[in-house]
This record gives sequence, structure tokens and C-alpha cells, in this order.
Amino acid sequence: MARVVVTGLGPVASIGTGIDAFAEGLRAGRSGISRIRSFDPTGFPVLDAGEVHDFAPERMLRRLDPAAWGRSATFAAAAARLAVADAGVDPDRVPAGRMGAVVGTTSGESQVVDQVTASIVEGGLAAMPVSLLERLPAGRLAEAVSTELGLTGDTLTLATACSASNYAIGYAFDALATGEADVMVAGGADSVCRWAHAGFYRLGALSDKGCQPFDRDRGGILTAEGGVALVLETLGHARARGARVYAEVLGYGVNCDAHHPVAPDAASIAECMRIAHENCSVKPADIDYICAHGTGTPSNDLAEAQAVREVFGDRPPPISSVKSMLGHTMGAASGFGAVASVLAIVHGFLPPTINFTRPDPAMPWLDPVANAARPARVRIAQNNGYAFGGNNAITLFGEAP
Amino acid sequence: MTGLVVTGFGVLSPAGIGAAALDGALAGRIDVPAVAEDGFPPSGAYRLDGFRIRDHLGRKGTSTLDRCTGMAVVACGQALADSGIEVDDGNRRRVGVALGTTMGSFQSTSEYSRETLVQERPYLVNPMLFPNTVMNCAAGQCAIWHGLKGVNATLAGGPLAFFSSLRYAANALNRGYADTVLCGAVEELTGYRAWANHLGGGTGTGEGAAVLALERQPAPGRRVVAEILAVTTGFAPDPGTVADALAGCVARALHRAGLAMDGVALVVTGAEDDVLRKALPDGCVPRLSIAATFGECDAASGALQAAAVLAGHRSDPSRDGQVSLLAGYTARGGVAAVLLRGWSGGGTAGR
Repeated sequence: MARVVVTGLGPVASIGTGIDAFAEGLRAGRSGISRIRSFDPTGFPVLDAGEVHDFAPERMLRRLDPAAWGRSATFAAAAARLAVADAGVDPDRVPAGRMGAVVGTTSGESQVVDQVTASIVEGGLAAMPVSLLERLPAGRLAEAVSTELGLTGDTLTLATACSASNYAIGYAFDALATGEADVMVAGGADSVCRWAHAGFYRLGALSDKGCQPFDRDRGGILTAEGGVALVLETLGHARARGARVYAEVLGYGVNCDAHHPVAPDAASIAECMRIAHENCSVKPADIDYICAHGTGTPSNDLAEAQAVREVFGDRPPPISSVKSMLGHTMGAASGFGAVASVLAIVHGFLPPTINFTRPDPAMPWLDPVANAARPARVRIAQNNGYAFGGNNAITLFGEAP
Repeated sequence: MTGLVVTGFGVLSPAGIGAAALDGALAGRIDVPAVAEDGFPPSGAYRLDGFRIRDHLGRKGTSTLDRCTGMAVVACGQALADSGIEVDDGNRRRVGVALGTTMGSFQSTSEYSRETLVQERPYLVNPMLFPNTVMNCAAGQCAIWHGLKGVNATLAGGPLAFFSSLRYAANALNRGYADTVLCGAVEELTGYRAWANHLGGGTGTGEGAAVLALERQPAPGRRVVAEILAVTTGFAPDPGTVADALAGCVARALHRAGLAMDGVALVVTGAEDDVLRKALPDGCVPRLSIAATFGECDAASGALQAAAVLAGHRSDPSRDGQVSLLAGYTARGGVAAVLLRGWSGGGTAGR
């Protein structure tokens, strides 16, 4: 089996686009939450989300015509273009079929659904605009990446909801480890949209006072968007071209709660951690940092904290949630978590959980890296991803070989 | 060779539930008329009439499930029953699901969006229906209904969704993440899909669900109904070259299987069009197209292509050991091919 490394990082996020701006945003504990602009939020009790303002795909993309693709697809392609530039890899120099793209998403082109629905309300099903309908299939997200980069290998969209980027990274890892590919672009993308904002609000999952993961008084999520991509390569391919290697992908674990459509399951999450550890041949004591799923809902954060205690004992490693800064970027979330995990290893700092005011007495064993980034030696980082449908996926990253 | 085998399958199609109905319709023995109802466009719609989720799963806990979720859960149950796999606490962590889709349920998602526009307050949506708007809903419910805690994935790929599921499942089995994966795809017929297809120039819209029980080392005595010889995928960044890319995909699949095209007995495609005719010009191999009988089935196409092969073998033991080719592509350049060898069901594990 080949060893797999991370050589490029490409975030398109509310706190910063491009790896330098994004890293600076994490270090500074910047909040990417703002008043919603992509739809009229009048009438909603919650008016904020983590939108990416000033996203200019036409300036970032070389091949793709943004007018012919949905927002999520352009997020995915722009992130991929950034990651490939960061990696210094030229896709045209990778042999045919040996470089592919895997993108994770929760809702695909959800904004396009809003747009199509508006036309249905106006004129019925026969009035749906064909140009919008063509953008709807979620498989277009990975196709946008492969079209933008000129890839001819495996092109796959994983629609496993809010852990989807970790599924994508895992699939890419396997393709590289088994020799099916030399280079893979893996990540995720989703767009803020009216219907998801309404849906989460109605579930009681939306916070009206910011995203406060692990805080005693946390009130839920804020929806958010973005695109994120990592360039993964076999170690041999990276060394042969003299690439700068950020970190190693140690592997991943996935499982399914098979219990409830939306409520998290602490025992099943703990089991997923054990599966990931076993697949990566690591012990809990080897892990220096956990990038949490940390949505900020009362139920997720408690279940996650309980699972961490069950697996790591009473003194687990620090665990912080970048959702406190970004909001919940859905299918991109665990991709942003992966980038944060890699940055933690490379630059030796833990991203903070911001908006933290008081600890939750139900989870006294937790160190959430409250409010300020902290220097730390991180040899191995665990990146958590959980989702509706009980789709759990956890990736692990280690120092560069 | 992939070393992976199919030990059972389940299928729902506009012809009915089960392999015999599918085989009969594709062979022209069973007529599948277009739905004669308002709400569907002139190009025609093909539906599994009379399918009600509660007839199969009962009333408890099913009233909020949408049609594609219900079809997927039923197809998974059939695949488990057909394969003889018994799921219990000893193995449920090693049995997984990989399901293909296009965008989940267009109807469920759009109706949810509609409520935010027409209700007195934009948040007066039904929280019980929110899970249906997420694309992995069907796979998640398959896990809940059948108690499957293993690898669970949803692949979005339209006509290639099943091929992606098969790739994902094959990887999970080969890497040892699972021992069995229920691998399939589903697409429901709704006015939303039918009109979207019609407006794009389509000539009929269908639905279906098919799930294959895929294993690496089935228990002795469990019958093997197919062996997966190769699964290849690729991409044509210039969609104008997709036919060549698909031809290349097919060639790689044949090479991996150690076969030439004259070793293939049957080709099954989702639809029949210029791209496929150019990519697969060999006219002397019998050819089936799912859309010719059922209309455009989108994500279900690939799964119905596989089920068509398996159903054909089940009804005709004289075809035991024959190899079939499945091929598909997407409008934006994705391509995939599968080679499988099938049996009627008299085969034994380890063949």
C-alpha cells in the first residue's frame, strides 16, 4: 500500500479564500457570520448565516464558465483550482486516468432548487427554466472539478450529508493507497439557501445568538457555505516531483448509526472513532488534537463529548470546533476541518472555539481551546464528521513523513 | 477480476416488483403503458403502479417517508432475502449500503422550498419532512429499517450513480471495511422529474430501484448469481470526446477481465443514443436499453441495467456463465463500464 500525503490546500470560505487568508482567519478566531444576502430573510427569526461574500468565480476559474454551473459546483471548482496551485502540481503532467476528483456535499445545488421552485410557484412545472434544471444533478460538483482541471480519472460526488468531505477524503485515500491513482483532489461544497435555513430553524436547530460549540448555553447552528479541496498524492509521486508535503493522511473510518434519521448517537460515534483508530493503527494517546464536528447544537456537542470521553478517557486531547467561526458549511464542513487539522500539524497551533462564554458542566473533561488559538505540537490530528442519516466519517492526519 | 460476487438482488421497476416482471417487460412479453394522468408531460411517464410504502413496511413510521426512500428500503430488503443473508448483532457492523442518486428527491426538496415562499411565515415548513430533503435519506433509512451499521454511502451521479456505488462498494469490500454491501440506486417518478426531463428534450421518464448484495467471500452454500469482472470509470473534460472516453473505458474493462468484445454476450445501456452508438459500434452483440421500455430512469438506470442482466440469467439457465457489459455516461463527461458474468442461481460460492 502506498503512503498518502497532502500537498495542496484550497479553501473558499467566509473567513478567507486561499490558504494564507484562511489560516490567518483561524489563528485570529475570525467570525465569518453576517446578515444573509443571498435570499430575503424577512420573516425569519434568525437573519444570519456564514455566506461567502464577494465570491468571484470568473476570476478564479480557467476553464469552467460559471454561468453554466450552479454555485456549489463553482465553489468546488474554485477550491480545486486553489488547491492545485498550492500543490504546484500540473494535472496535464499526470498520466491519463491517474488523477481524479471526489467532492462531498449535503444538498448539491440547493440554491438552484430555490430558484427553480420560485419559477414553479409563478408558472407551474412547465415553466421550469432548462438552464437551471441542467445544473441540478449533484454529480455536477465533481464534474465541475474534473472539467476545470482537465482530469480524466475517477470523478465522484459523495452525497453523505454533513460528513461528506471526510467520505471524499477517505475514498481518495483508498484510490491512492491501492495504486488506482497518483493524485486526487478531494473536498466538499455547499451553498446557503432559503429552504435549509427554514428547515433547520423549524427543527429547533438554529441559534439566534451565534454558534457556540460546547458552551453551556449553546443554542444550535448557523447555516453556512463554501468550497474546500485538498490535493492528495502518493508519497512516491510527491517526492518524485519535489513537492512540498504538508502532512500524511493516515486513513479513516466510517460507520452508520442505523438508529434515528437526525439525532446523533454517542455510542455509534465512539465506535466510529475506534474504527478509524484501528484502520490507522493509532491509539487514542497518540492523538494531540481533535477537530470537532462541533455544530453547536445541545445534542451533537453532548454526544460528541461523551464519545470522546468513552474513547479517550477523562483527559482527552484539546478539541475545538471551526464551525464556531465558519458556521455549518454542510458537506464542506469536514473538509474545512481537514484543512484546519493539517494547519495544526504544519504550523503548530490549535484553532479556537470562539463565542465560548462558559463551560458545560455536563462535559467537564473537555478543553475546547476557548476563544483564542494556542500554540501546540500536533503530531496526529483527528477530524470528526457526523451527519443526518447516521453517516459518520472520521479522518486522521499525521506529520509529513 | 475484482473477486467480488453478487449473491442476491432486489428490483422494482414500472413493470412490477421482482426479477420476472423486469425480464418480461424488457423481453416485450409484459406491456408497460405510460401513465394516463394529469401532472405528467406529453412525452410520457412510466410508473410502478400501486406501489404503496405501507403495504411493504407497515404504517408505523412510514407516513413521512418519500417514494424513493420507500422503494430503496424495499429493494434492500429483497436483496437481503434473495441472498439469504441474515443480519444480526454478530454481523450488522459489517453489512453496509451504497446507494446511487441524482439529487435525492427533487419533489421533496422543491416542495420544502415552496413552503418557504407560500406559507404565511417562511419557516412554517414541516420538520418531519426535513430529513427527506437530504440526499442520503434513502441510504440512512435502509440502514435503520434493516439494522445495518456498516459502511453507508450515497453517491450522486445520475446515469452513473449505480456505477459509482459499485466502485464505492467494491473498494469498501476490497479494503476490508465491510463484508457485504447492498449496492444499488433509486429514482422515483414525480411530475417534477418528468417535466424536467421533458423540458430538456427527453422522450419519456421512468422510475425504479435495484439493489445487489455484493460480497467478497460469501459463506459456503450461499449461491452466487454473478461475478463482477471489472468496474472502470473515467472522465472526458471536453464533453465532445465522451464517446471516445467511454470506448476507452470499455476497452480497459475488457483488458482487466482478460476478455475481448467477442466474449461479451449482451450489452445493456441506460438509453440508446449517438454517443453510445459511437462508443459501442459492435452491432452483432445483442443490446438492451432500459429507456426503450421504461423511459429515462436517471440514477436508477445503471441499477436496472445490472438487474436486467441478473433477471435474464435467472429465467434462463442456458445462459449460465455468459458475460454482459453495462455502459453509461453523463452529459458533462463522466463515463463508466462494468463487466459481469451471470448465473441462474445454481452456482455455488467459490466457483
